[in-house]
Amino acid sequence: MIVTLGTIEEALVYSFVLSFLAVGITLLYKTTKVPNFAHASFTTAGAYAVYSISTILNLNPYIGLPAAFLISTLMAVILFFVVLEPLRKRKASIQMLMIATLAYDILMYGVLNVYADTIQTSFKIPSRTVTLMRFDFTIAGFRGVFIVSLILLLSSVIILYFILNRTYIGISLRASMENQALAESIGINTRVTLLISWIIAGGLAGLGGGILAIWTQIDPSTGMSLVASMFCASIVGGLEEIYGAILGGFLLGLVELIGTEVLARTVGSWVTPYRPIIPLLILFITLIFCPTGLVSPARKAIRKLRGRG
Amino acid sequence: MLELFIVFIIDLLAFFLIYLILNTGLNIELGYTGIPNFGTVFWFSAGGFAAGALASRLGAWLLNIDTSGIDFIRDNMIIVMKINNILEKSPLQALTLLILIIIIAGGIGAMLGAVMSIPTVRLRSDYLAITFLAFGEILNVIGTAYTPLVGGPPGIAVPDVWAWSGKLRFTVSTLTILIIAIIFFAYAEYLVRTPLGRSLRVVRDNEVAAEAYGKDIARFRLISMIIGSTLMSVAGALYVLYSQAVNPSFFRFHWTFLPWLMILLGGVGNNIGVLLGTFIYNTIYKLIVFYKFELGGILPFDVVWLNYILLGALIIIILIYRPQGLLPEKPPRIRLKVKERKE
Repeated sequence: MIVTLGTIEEALVYSFVLSFLAVGITLLYKTTKVPNFAHASFTTAGAYAVYSISTILNLNPYIGLPAAFLISTLMAVILFFVVLEPLRKRKASIQMLMIATLAYDILMYGVLNVYADTIQTSFKIPSRTVTLMRFDFTIAGFRGVFIVSLILLLSSVIILYFILNRTYIGISLRASMENQALAESIGINTRVTLLISWIIAGGLAGLGGGILAIWTQIDPSTGMSLVASMFCASIVGGLEEIYGAILGGFLLGLVELIGTEVLARTVGSWVTPYRPIIPLLILFITLIFCPTGLVSPARKAIRKLRGRG
Repeated sequence: MLELFIVFIIDLLAFFLIYLILNTGLNIELGYTGIPNFGTVFWFSAGGFAAGALASRLGAWLLNIDTSGIDFIRDNMIIVMKINNILEKSPLQALTLLILIIIIAGGIGAMLGAVMSIPTVRLRSDYLAITFLAFGEILNVIGTAYTPLVGGPPGIAVPDVWAWSGKLRFTVSTLTILIIAIIFFAYAEYLVRTPLGRSLRVVRDNEVAAEAYGKDIARFRLISMIIGSTLMSVAGALYVLYSQAVNPSFFRFHWTFLPWLMILLGGVGNNIGVLLGTFIYNTIYKLIVFYKFELGGILPFDVVWLNYILLGALIIIILIYRPQGLLPEKPPRIRLKVKERKE
């Protein structure tokens, strides 16, 4: 067998993490119209929240996940209120907003490194290239992180679906995504809806980061190294389709890990170090040949078929 | 003390000039044409890798050094020593090598710029920025994985094309970079005033209007990308030649984020502003590095990270309070030649 069960499990956990991140990016892109480069540091912050709670307080790593959600939400809300709102008031262009998120990411990268150094000196625990893998449990041969992240992703999607379709705030969020001016004219406070989208996106990124800390090694640059993959997942999903982002996350995670594994076994192990190129190639091909992502053309095709039938 | 001061100034100048070339290239793309190039590190490292991989190979070929049985990566130190020994005595050959490397690095940069201009035509600016940002890292991956290029993560030494100037090596190398920077800067200033420069700005400001006047947008973006990329790659090559070593870890922070910061600080679309921004940033940065050790003992973390925090905060403040930079873009003064009619 070319691919082992372990690789498939790894690839699936990676896909879950990418889905968490890509959903946030897509949501923010739809509401704020800005590709949020600061997602990288939201992820790292979540990972470090879980890591510090687990090692400093000696708790089960999964207890840290809500804290990861909160800390990344906090970072997202600060970005929204302190940086993006003043810029939007000054009618800044999308380019300006993008640079601002990138700058915020750099700032937070510095903060996270300071944090990592500080916990290392004051609590005498390692803080770079660390993992919580050994605290994880196994059920029927599956790693705990696989089961927990699967449940988390499913419940997040269901909750998100419920919020977006069944609650007043979610419906007004969707309204302001479609047409902000129109939404404002019927009395929706778009600032509140924007804020909600930042809270959801930041929190999901924190959860993704927390899972990363339990699943694999983390480092202050973990988020940055995932930037290409998460944006690729979001774009493959169509950058306009929230559930498409999950599809993109799965596609990318599976192709990146299983594809590399298959190539390494068939072509030779020299392929493995080139793994980061795979998301870039997928991104490039998608953007050149199918810039609206894979979901909306598929939807159009289905509609066409239905129309004929 | 005076000697220390001179070393400080020369090092500051060299970095300032390398950044100036890079930023001028970015300004042609971002400032004149409106291409949000979040991947300048891509072209910078392309130039750096070209210089790193070719300097010893070209040098050995140029100086007729017997390379049979020599592996340029494994025996890197031996071959670099041999080349340096010859270059110490012959400035002419050293200069030939320098010029050859710069031309090749520029050419590679131009080619990569032409390739990457394909997405600039098809994509909106936000998608484009993501593409550039993602692609910035691709060369580092290749450089790390493919060791024949620059020897993988440990990197390799690069022959010193200024070996002949002996003790004045850093002064002479800085002067060389100064000359190249002046040429490029003057060209960029000239470019603004030409019809090409005006067309680029029309493409940036209003694509529809540009098309209505019969301007081929794709062609102008291509030209802008080629010119800008050439400059960036030359900057990368000069950086590697100046530091006499190369390794595949050109950080996005240093070679994409900082150039953006400097341009935003000085003023997007204004070459003088770019010059000013580059100078201010580099001076402050070198002063921080210079006084870093006095701060180092007090804090429980590495002072380097404060840089990231300060610069991130600085760019956000600039964006909010002075988005046009210190010197905003001004339309270039053009002297219209009116032919006097002889009556």
